[in-house]
Amino acid sequence: MNGDSHRSAPEERLVNLVVALLATEQGLTKDTILTSVAGYREQGAGGASKDALEKMFERDKENLRALGVPIETIGDFADPDDLREARYRVPTAEYSLPVDIDFSPAEIAVLNLASGVWGESSMSADARSGLRKIRALGIDVDAPIIGYAPRISLREPSFTPLQRAIEQARVVEFDYIKGGSDAAHRRRLQPFALLEYEGRWHVYGFDVSLGAERTFLLTRISSDVTVTRTSFDAALREGAGEKALAGLTAVAERQRALLEVEPGTEAALRLHRRGIPAEQGIHVPYVDAHIFADELASYGPEVRVVAPTDLRDLVIDRLERTRALHEKAVA
Amino acid sequence: MSARPLLATDRASLMLQLVPYLISRGEVSVADAAEDFEVTPEQMRAMVEKLTVIGLPGDGGFWQMANDLFDIDWDLLDEQDHISLTNAVGLERTPRLTAREAAALLAGLQLAASLPGVGDSGVVQGLLAKLARGASSAPADVIVAPSAVDEVRTTVSDAIRAGVAVSFTYQAPDAAPTTRTVDPVKVHIADGQWYLQGWCHLREAIRTFHLDRVSSVALTDIPIAHAGEPVPGLFASAESDAVVEVRCRADVLPLLGDYLDRASVSGSGEYRSAALRVADERSIKRVAARLGGDVEITAPAAARASAASWAEAGLAQYR
Repeated sequence: MNGDSHRSAPEERLVNLVVALLATEQGLTKDTILTSVAGYREQGAGGASKDALEKMFERDKENLRALGVPIETIGDFADPDDLREARYRVPTAEYSLPVDIDFSPAEIAVLNLASGVWGESSMSADARSGLRKIRALGIDVDAPIIGYAPRISLREPSFTPLQRAIEQARVVEFDYIKGGSDAAHRRRLQPFALLEYEGRWHVYGFDVSLGAERTFLLTRISSDVTVTRTSFDAALREGAGEKALAGLTAVAERQRALLEVEPGTEAALRLHRRGIPAEQGIHVPYVDAHIFADELASYGPEVRVVAPTDLRDLVIDRLERTRALHEKAVA
Repeated sequence: MSARPLLATDRASLMLQLVPYLISRGEVSVADAAEDFEVTPEQMRAMVEKLTVIGLPGDGGFWQMANDLFDIDWDLLDEQDHISLTNAVGLERTPRLTAREAAALLAGLQLAASLPGVGDSGVVQGLLAKLARGASSAPADVIVAPSAVDEVRTTVSDAIRAGVAVSFTYQAPDAAPTTRTVDPVKVHIADGQWYLQGWCHLREAIRTFHLDRVSSVALTDIPIAHAGEPVPGLFASAESDAVVEVRCRADVLPLLGDYLDRASVSGSGEYRSAALRVADERSIKRVAARLGGDVEITAPAAARASAASWAEAGLAQYR
């Protein structure tokens, strides 16, 4: 190494730190780390202040934890302000994939398919990186599963901050439009789970302002999602996904529209699959009146809403606005 | 694979994965490793070179001994562009999945579980448990609700696996039903909708069929003859597409969904104009009514008029 190289790349320092912390059983003190681990050592020798080095170490620990590296602090916590005697290490068993987990060639083939569902969205890199780790176990792969191209769409920018807030069990804030042309209202939520239902993303959690559990559509979040510093009990998240799914399914069971549908039309084709025949027309379950009204309006004269009245009014409103907007020549 | 810009933490994460990968592969070309890690060959070479200055801490501030550092076969790298690790000082084991990685795979598996022939094999259930156990911290619950698999979906999947053509009645919107025989190539699932891409014997070309519009489906005993045809993307533009001009508020644009992926958008400020490519001009009146007055069709005049009369005909039922 020459004289300039005490400014080595930060990833070198990060990986050196992991190697050092994995190699120690009893843990290394901060002083030992800063004077012996390559990356800190050279910067210290190059004149960087102790304070700067310590800040760098704190940042590095945070970054590595975000990468899933479990850095353990062992020490005397009688005085939490004095961590000089604290020792740091990475327990091998928690760092690496459990030894007893192995994957069959058929499982790898299914994981290959599963990792491809995210297209170009933000989850895609995570899925492929996870698959790469599993494949590094050196497992053979069955012939790929052909004939399927499953995709999950993820267009909502609110997804990523919501996911982070769920992981960290932190309260979020956002503006939410309840439906149609209503004004947006500020919501404060303890987010528990994300759920894709009928092709739409929802977040389920405890609405702090309402004091009740609620499900929100991501497409109706009209502001950035702010992840606050307020945390909540992480145990609240347990089983939340299943609860959210059961909740939406129950809503669909409860809410049924009575519709008259013109036979042989697009509406008949799409609605009969989901409907239950009634004496006059069909009953179709739905979750969200505004979203179902959007769909029903698209069918124009092919479907007439008999009941409920609120759904019927929403459809009429959409059709009236569509007519009003298009009946005159372009201005 | 396209290479993305890498942050220092990304590179650190890749290097932690690189050691167990190189150990399990033995010897691997720079090109193959780059492809597996989705980086350029130059980035891969730089990572490997960096690895050789990484190692165990030196004793009391001294430089590390050579055998305290990772090392590679330099001759092999210089002469054949192949990587082979000759000394490892840790990191031999594959790191756990991050919460985010586990969540992304778990959600993908839930969708895979709904596929006939994949989900019913029992493999998915075992994988869900293994992934949850292999994560470094609890992944956020990301749930993909299962969609019902009906006879049409099952039969089409059977046809792909058996390598035979499938016959069905197809009801395109605003057209008379037709009977089709199709060499199935791929089932696409997007936004919860299922589509079949295949060689249509009637049209003598690759066509896409929305499975909700398919009925009276049956397997044939005709072997697939056109499986090797190039398959366009699911919503790829065709030359026959019509162009429809619309105007809407900027915040309404995302509601156009898939249409937006193929649209050219212009304007700034509160309102935007978009030129949408649609397979059938007649279908745009449905889009306008769906978006209930938030999207205005500005051209062509016929499409605009059809939206008005479509809405009027709908309203007439309520008078």
